[in-house]
Amino acid sequence: MAFVQAIIDGLLIGGVYALISIGLTLVYGVMGIINFAQAEFLTIGMFVAWFAWSVLGLDPVLAAPLSFAVAFAIGWVVQAQLIARVLNAASVAQIFLTVGLLIVIENGALLLFGSQFRSVTTVYQTMSLSLGPLFISVPYLVAFVVSVVCGMSLWWFMRASWFGRAMRATAQNPMAARLMGIDTGLMYKIAFALGVGLTAFGGAVILPYITVYPSVGSQFVVLMFTVVVLGGLGSIAGAVVGGLAVGVIQAISGLLFPIQLQNLVLFVVFILVLALRPQGIVGAMR
Amino acid sequence: MMRDLHCSKGSRPTRRRVLAQVGTAILAAPFVARSGFAQAKPVNVGVVVPLSGANAQFGINSRNGIQLVADEINAAGGLKALGGAKINLIIADSTSTPTTAATVAQRLISQNDVTAILGAFASSLTIAISEVTERRDIPLLTMSFADQITGRGFKNIFQVVAKASVIGKAQFDYTAAIAATAGKKIAKVAIMYEDTAYGTAQAKGLRAAATAANVEIVMDDAYPLGITDATPLINKLRASGADAVFPVSYLNDSLLIIRTMRQQQLTIPAIGGAAGYVIPDFEKGLGKFAEGVLSVDPSNYDQAPELTDRFRKRFGYFMVHEALEHAVALYVLSQAIERAKSAKPEEAAAKLRGARFEGGWAKAMTGGAVQFNEAGLNILSVPLMVQWRGKNLVTVWPKEYAKGKAVWPS
Repeated sequence: MAFVQAIIDGLLIGGVYALISIGLTLVYGVMGIINFAQAEFLTIGMFVAWFAWSVLGLDPVLAAPLSFAVAFAIGWVVQAQLIARVLNAASVAQIFLTVGLLIVIENGALLLFGSQFRSVTTVYQTMSLSLGPLFISVPYLVAFVVSVVCGMSLWWFMRASWFGRAMRATAQNPMAARLMGIDTGLMYKIAFALGVGLTAFGGAVILPYITVYPSVGSQFVVLMFTVVVLGGLGSIAGAVVGGLAVGVIQAISGLLFPIQLQNLVLFVVFILVLALRPQGIVGAMR
Repeated sequence: MMRDLHCSKGSRPTRRRVLAQVGTAILAAPFVARSGFAQAKPVNVGVVVPLSGANAQFGINSRNGIQLVADEINAAGGLKALGGAKINLIIADSTSTPTTAATVAQRLISQNDVTAILGAFASSLTIAISEVTERRDIPLLTMSFADQITGRGFKNIFQVVAKASVIGKAQFDYTAAIAATAGKKIAKVAIMYEDTAYGTAQAKGLRAAATAANVEIVMDDAYPLGITDATPLINKLRASGADAVFPVSYLNDSLLIIRTMRQQQLTIPAIGGAAGYVIPDFEKGLGKFAEGVLSVDPSNYDQAPELTDRFRKRFGYFMVHEALEHAVALYVLSQAIERAKSAKPEEAAAKLRGARFEGGWAKAMTGGAVQFNEAGLNILSVPLMVQWRGKNLVTVWPKEYAKGKAVWPS
């Protein structure tokens, strides 16, 4: 029974890992840029949701679209003004830019909001559903459901909408896409803004159970990269599979080994996957 | 504009030159003004606390406490023995990483000519700093309490509170006593702690006390700093069938632990190990679920309200223990400098070693004074058990310090 409980917990938390990591994989898949500042947009999303909660009294989950919008706007500007300049530059320049962005956002938040912890209180925060001996944490469930809805919509967007198809075309061959009349610059802006927006959305969703402070992103950045690379860098389905896998691996290792070894077990699995299947569990989009 | 700047080679009053002159004048103004009435050279005191990263909130609290006392001393005419020298705090961010903390301390010593260093809240940071201060013979006053701090035979470390193993023991013993008073018996306990110097040392004290009392430890788990999901811990706790749980954690993990326990309808008492359990953010993050939560605390503001109310008035929240203890640390340092009649680090350290300090902020500590032994430990400090009542922490144990009656949470 403890095992079933661990799987449930792992899947729920894994769904959230997937949501916050999808953006990273989307940006890489479309633009071929690894955004080291991705986790900072999680922080931005959390701060927006926190202010929405404390000023407007809005539940963080309801404030998530607001977080998305703010990060989308910031992402749009960042892409147009900064990233666009290094798209065809050496990857060192891209790394410097995104790492620089990480430092600027983290310290900007420190300057603006101070370093104190901020957390929200919601009614469902300490609730759970009990199914016999099993417990399903309500904040995790809420986050999971929102993540699934969000992931499905993104999948539909990429699959069926004109923008999604245009974006995939841009990812496959920018030159051919341009010849077909696709504004690839616009596609890059949408991809980057959407990618960071989704991560910010995830930030708002996890706020009911995580406190926000300027360097909170650093707690998640390694996790995000693990999720994305495990599933297959650049693949949206891969991020989902990777997220769920990371959640379940953590939960089961917590059950079998001391909690301290949770991440050790995760990275052993990670190294095994990289050794045996370097393209990730699902494989990449491009 | 750019051209102007680059062509200023002649002696004409170019924009750059004028700017530079005005700038120098503005920068120099305060020094000119100050030297008019203060003859004594200010005494530099380094403050190295985490102002960013996971432990930032505690660093800010610490800084506030130190700032309060420094301003009080300066407003009262500075250090008398040094002709009214003002205390000049040099505040530096240790971050939450030990290696950075050590580098920052090194920089303060080599560049700022400090008499002493105060800091750095988290034991792992303090240990890193103490390696530097010991080498350079600078006194380090701290309220961190991992046993290692005073256990290495260092000559320049001064700890105003009891050791972690003593605090861990008190956490268990006081709980057992409170439970016994309420007619409850604790047969099985769970210990969970954050795997830094602080958590590990305090858990050791807890473990020893539980073993000595013949109580079965059904769970004994360390977890990493910065954990983002407490579910596996609480699943284990629920399966263990413990009567009480002793979590030793900083803030984010303490909120995760209590919330997840509530989710799983686990109502056994959680007796916190100070840090995250005894700051206003704990109550802010948990609301009504904070009510009645017990925690051990190296000191508490209700022991000397006449002093600690000054903190509340200035900063708008109660004087948390790290602020209080850092305030005491600066007070005893100022007394040592007065006694030494010198701001030289080694002379101040000589007046701290084995010395007793009374009056002023020393009254806020249990025992009403500070008495350092040769290892630099304040032997008068006794841990307290506090309990959340609304937005306040009330000392409920031991009886001679209690300001309210302990209520066994059920």
